[in-house]
Amino acid sequence: MILLFKTSSRQNKWRLLFPILLYCAALTPGICLAHQSPNTNMLLDVNTKMVAVELQIPIPELALSFKRNISESPATIVEQYGDQLKDYLKAHIHAYINKDNPWDVEIVSMNMDKGTQVLSGPPFWELRVHLNLLPNKNEDTRKFILDYDVVMHEVINHTTLVSVRNDWENGVITDNPVEVGVISRDMQTMTIKPFEINLKKGSSWKGFTGMFRLGMEHIKNGTDHLLFIITLLLPACLLVSNKKWTVYGGMKYSIFRLLKIITAFTIGHSITLLIGALGLVKIPVQFIEIIIAVSILVSAIHAITPLFYGKEIFIALGFGFIHGLAFSQTLQNLHLVSMDLALSVLGFNLGIEAMQVAVIAATIPWFIIMSQTRYFRIVKNVFASLVSMAAIGWILQRVTGNGNLVSDATDKLLLFSPWLILGLCLFSLTLFALAKRTKKAVEAENTVFLQNS
Amino acid sequence: MKRKIVLCITSAVVMTAIFIACKKDSSSSTTSATVTALTCSSATISATATLNVAYTGTASIPYTGGNSVAYSAGSAISSTGVTGLTATLAAGTLSSSGSLTYNITGTPTSSGTASFAITFGGQSCSFTVTVNATATDCSSSTGVAKVVCLANAFLATLSTTQQASVVLTLNLANAKLWSNLPCGLSCRDGLAFSSLTTAQLTAAKAVIAAATSTTTDQGYDEFLKINNTDSVLYAAAGGGYGPGYYVICFLGTPSTTGKWMLQFGGHHYAGNITFDAGSVVSITPSHQGLEPKTWTNANGTVIAPLADEETAMANMLASFSSTELTSAKISGSYSDCLMIPGSTTNTFPSTKVGIQVSSLSSTAQANVLLAMARWVNDLDSTSAAAFMTIYTNELSSTYVSYASNSSGVSGSASSFFTTNTDYVRIDGPSIWIEFICQTGVVYPSQIHYHSVFRDHSRDYIGL
Repeated sequence: MILLFKTSSRQNKWRLLFPILLYCAALTPGICLAHQSPNTNMLLDVNTKMVAVELQIPIPELALSFKRNISESPATIVEQYGDQLKDYLKAHIHAYINKDNPWDVEIVSMNMDKGTQVLSGPPFWELRVHLNLLPNKNEDTRKFILDYDVVMHEVINHTTLVSVRNDWENGVITDNPVEVGVISRDMQTMTIKPFEINLKKGSSWKGFTGMFRLGMEHIKNGTDHLLFIITLLLPACLLVSNKKWTVYGGMKYSIFRLLKIITAFTIGHSITLLIGALGLVKIPVQFIEIIIAVSILVSAIHAITPLFYGKEIFIALGFGFIHGLAFSQTLQNLHLVSMDLALSVLGFNLGIEAMQVAVIAATIPWFIIMSQTRYFRIVKNVFASLVSMAAIGWILQRVTGNGNLVSDATDKLLLFSPWLILGLCLFSLTLFALAKRTKKAVEAENTVFLQNS
Repeated sequence: MKRKIVLCITSAVVMTAIFIACKKDSSSSTTSATVTALTCSSATISATATLNVAYTGTASIPYTGGNSVAYSAGSAISSTGVTGLTATLAAGTLSSSGSLTYNITGTPTSSGTASFAITFGGQSCSFTVTVNATATDCSSSTGVAKVVCLANAFLATLSTTQQASVVLTLNLANAKLWSNLPCGLSCRDGLAFSSLTTAQLTAAKAVIAAATSTTTDQGYDEFLKINNTDSVLYAAAGGGYGPGYYVICFLGTPSTTGKWMLQFGGHHYAGNITFDAGSVVSITPSHQGLEPKTWTNANGTVIAPLADEETAMANMLASFSSTELTSAKISGSYSDCLMIPGSTTNTFPSTKVGIQVSSLSSTAQANVLLAMARWVNDLDSTSAAAFMTIYTNELSSTYVSYASNSSGVSGSASSFFTTNTDYVRIDGPSIWIEFICQTGVVYPSQIHYHSVFRDHSRDYIGL
């Protein structure tokens, strides 16, 4: 799904150009080349225990301040100069609340990345650094001083754009970092002033509700999850005889079965969401995506002809595991620990649940109504066939990595899902009324026939 | 049961395959184009025509009720009323509603209204193009009056829509909208050269020419050469480079009594000239850059409009004694100018660095003035002289500083400005000039130039 597995979005490289590039990207792709000297991007992931920092430092600028000829073979800079680079960075990055008792700066990883921004002109290499700022005991991560002058101590016009990518306690969990300021030489004094990070006071409650909202967003945009569960529920109200879906099994039967399936799915994805968020398992995203598409296909076929009648809960549980792994992808780059993580998983999961219940509440009653008419079998089979086509489209898309007609059309169509649900509602009511009338007519005819005879 | 499942899957796969395979085609159609309404009264004409002046333009005629059919180009329809113009339908494809485009060309033989009776898709109507009397003659005016006259003459060639895009409010936000980057209109205001007809572009350039110097490699000639150099970058790198992305814009209505600003520029050029009550009150911010820094055009002419700027700065530094050079040198490196839009907050450093001009030898002092003149003299000679007087009077409190230039030695002009980050700054009570060598973007093996010319007290004057 487009929105479900977003790769962490890169920050724009060019100060001021941020809005311009957005504008260009939207309206005139390809005509925006730029060559203002590139700045550093600093992305902060703030939680209660530490501040995780990602730096994106352009090599042409770093070469000037690191004073070594690193531009010659940029691909191998980390291998060649790793330790010296670490020393250099540590000498120019300090964080503290009390200057005499600075925080630990722990460099987690460094790697080279080729700048791939088509819009900003020719690609250039950048050094990506992941580091953690670890406060002293009982010190707050929300308000501290960042004394940072990497590159800028030497390159007078260089600037560093500081953005908060994740701020758990404020419910900011986003792929679009929020710019909080610029570290650069103060033009009046020509010095680099220590930069104060001062985030709005947050709370665990805000973090929790932020995760809840994110969970809801995920289901709203992750149409494949919904399609899976709805398709699985589609024939749940029907009885099976002779290995065929037959007639409506009554209200009690329906509700019981619906609840069983939903609960199994929920338990399944909750377990793997937790496991995934803890980072205990790492399964390639593409593989998970493909299995999810397969799960949709399987439930569509089951809706046409019962494959695993009576064992739906195991299927729901099994595929729930897979869907949960997909949900957990989102939580992984929040760098959350202990209590935050527990609250996050809970909030996120509840958000997913709330949205799921809302969508099920909006669709399933119509299935129950329709399943009481004799047209339901046709409706069910047509719907399931369409879903299976969509699923195959998605499988192909996810295997090949390219969109195709079916997957593109599905993605577009699903943008209109609220209208589709409304249509479903009207359609089911029409069917129901039609069925009642026919039934009455038949009964009336029978009465007349009886009277006459 | 198993057979059923297999059947199910197979049919789903086959159907999906068919859908994917049928992605294209279904285009051959013989239906003719029809529309239910043509609205000539809402026609948009790209530009006003002028008597006896060759005209090219387009007319967009809105329609509704189109039947989604493609139509081919039409044959020329001659104008009535004012004759001499023809309108030709351009090929296209109908949507449910949209506009037909007619290309209009020819030379109008009288002034007034040229009418075109058109018939399309079962509907007919008639649209008109206004033909002005002979274009305004500004040759008798001089100075700011001439700039204003030419600005009005340019405006007269534009459609009302174009006029609305080119005359904007004079405020700080609009005034600050200039850039060194090849970002066309997305980082600038006004009209792009590429959107203008030949006659309109000529009229636009006449305004710029009147406001700038007539000397070779200065003023207007320098602007044209930088503009042209972008076509070299376009040929080498494509994308957003090219003379057509340059723009012209008026902030405020051009007049000899009120206050207004002429903005023109594009990649590697920004001109911002403010007029108030008939005189030039600000000639900054101004920016010039050049890549490649020298090239030869098809006629064999060497194009290097910033060579004299580089020479003037190099001569200036070379005329410093070794001791003076040591005092002028500042620490740190520069990868670009400081006062370029976007790289600063537009705040000038409050402390001047380097060497004070009053402490230099008289030869060196004269060379500082010569270097300044290379930027100031880009303006029309009258305003240039007025501004040179201001800057000359402030010369003794002006500072010169430079960074990098590690090969630079006293007495050798050619030893300066040879590699990336070689940088110089002239910073006076008013004047601010920076000039820098940067690694090329399209030609990374060469250096290229960036420069800015600002004024501490006159940038965005009064805004």
